[in-house]
Amino acid sequence: MREALDPWNFVIAAFAIGIGGTLAMVAWSWLTMRRAEARRDATRQDRAREL
Amino acid sequence: MHRLANPARFLRIARWLTPAFLLSGLVLAGLALGWGLTRVAPDHLMGETVRILFIHVPAAWLGMAGWMTIAGASLAELAWRHPLAGIAARAAAVPGAVFTAICLATGSIWGRPTWGTWWVWDGRLTSMLVLLFLYFGYIALADAAAKQGEGRARVAAIFGLVGAINVPIINRSVVWWNSLHQPPSITMGGSSIDASYLVPLLAATLGSSLIFAGVVLARMRALLADQQAEARLRRKAMAAA
Amino acid sequence: MLVIALAVLAGAALLAAWALRNQASYFYVPSEIVASPPEPGRAVRLGGMVEKGSLRTQADGVTLMFVVGDGKARVPVRFSGIAPSLFVEGSGVVAEGKMRADGTFVADNLLAKHDENYVPRELEDMDQHQARQVVSETR
Repeated sequence: MREALDPWNFVIAAFAIGIGGTLAMVAWSWLTMRRAEARRDATRQDRAREL
Repeated sequence: MHRLANPARFLRIARWLTPAFLLSGLVLAGLALGWGLTRVAPDHLMGETVRILFIHVPAAWLGMAGWMTIAGASLAELAWRHPLAGIAARAAAVPGAVFTAICLATGSIWGRPTWGTWWVWDGRLTSMLVLLFLYFGYIALADAAAKQGEGRARVAAIFGLVGAINVPIINRSVVWWNSLHQPPSITMGGSSIDASYLVPLLAATLGSSLIFAGVVLARMRALLADQQAEARLRRKAMAAA
Repeated sequence: MLVIALAVLAGAALLAAWALRNQASYFYVPSEIVASPPEPGRAVRLGGMVEKGSLRTQADGVTLMFVVGDGKARVPVRFSGIAPSLFVEGSGVVAEGKMRADGTFVADNLLAKHDENYVPRELEDMDQHQARQVVSETR
């Protein structure tokens, strides 16, 4: 008796994890970078009293 | 090298290089994966599941390359006190860990239909899991060190250097020990991967590497910006007091 | 100081890797099993190539008999159950199970071990020359 699994389920799952993980990482790193740079630029303008 | 050491000069270059790396990497990797998913022929033995190659192999390469980045930058930090080196080492940790996790997850998914198991404790799989835990340890250590300042940063750098021992172990594990994982397909002597797989594989690897470089630059900019913002707030607090 | 510490750590890691070299193997090959047979009943893994022409399915339809070899020694194996789809003659296998006193290996699980070659199905039966011809024709 030999196993007969549908290979496409595994292919789709692997691509979903790989692509989803990579895109999530790119989006997260881009957004945290933008937020951090916006915060720095806010401290640069002399608005210390408002912060 | 030291021309790049100046954070202002680095930021001027990274401002356009970050989106350039990310966009070109996403386009190239996307095309290569689309081709690999729809255009290549099934493998003689494993059939359709061979397509997982195009996700799994670039992730494995970047998981290891990520730690070599940490180790190289840590060495520069310890030996030459390079001002951006510590930032670069910390920036490589998250993308390296993400690619290592993708490598482990897709490898597991690939193992089930081909080997007949989700996981085995053989040399290759175990040493790759150790790499993921090393990343977790490094991220925790480097973040804690960054909050406490100068002296502690050396501890994270030493950890980054020592952990690099695991990378050649991963690489050689399938040669040193009998393992369920097959030996390397691409060696100095050539490749045992047919060209119809090898070309999209190399394209996906190059594209993923560009994405990795773009994410490292984005993380470096974020860490630098945090550092600068905190330094300014501290100065202002001192001036006010 | 730092250099010395790193050198010591690197040395320790290399030593550990060296020590692991002979311990961390995932399976035994047939020549090791034949040279020093594990005591019957101890759980071990046997890995090697499924010899071409050796695979037989018993009358019950679920019991497989085959021979695992490594070029130097051969071990007969019996397995009842579902084999992975890549389990074929002439390819690699890792069998989990026990050695019996009569020299057969009784497996309760089979894992398929494939090699490092990735070749499309259509090209497999051709030799290099034919394959090159096909490639040049499709250009």
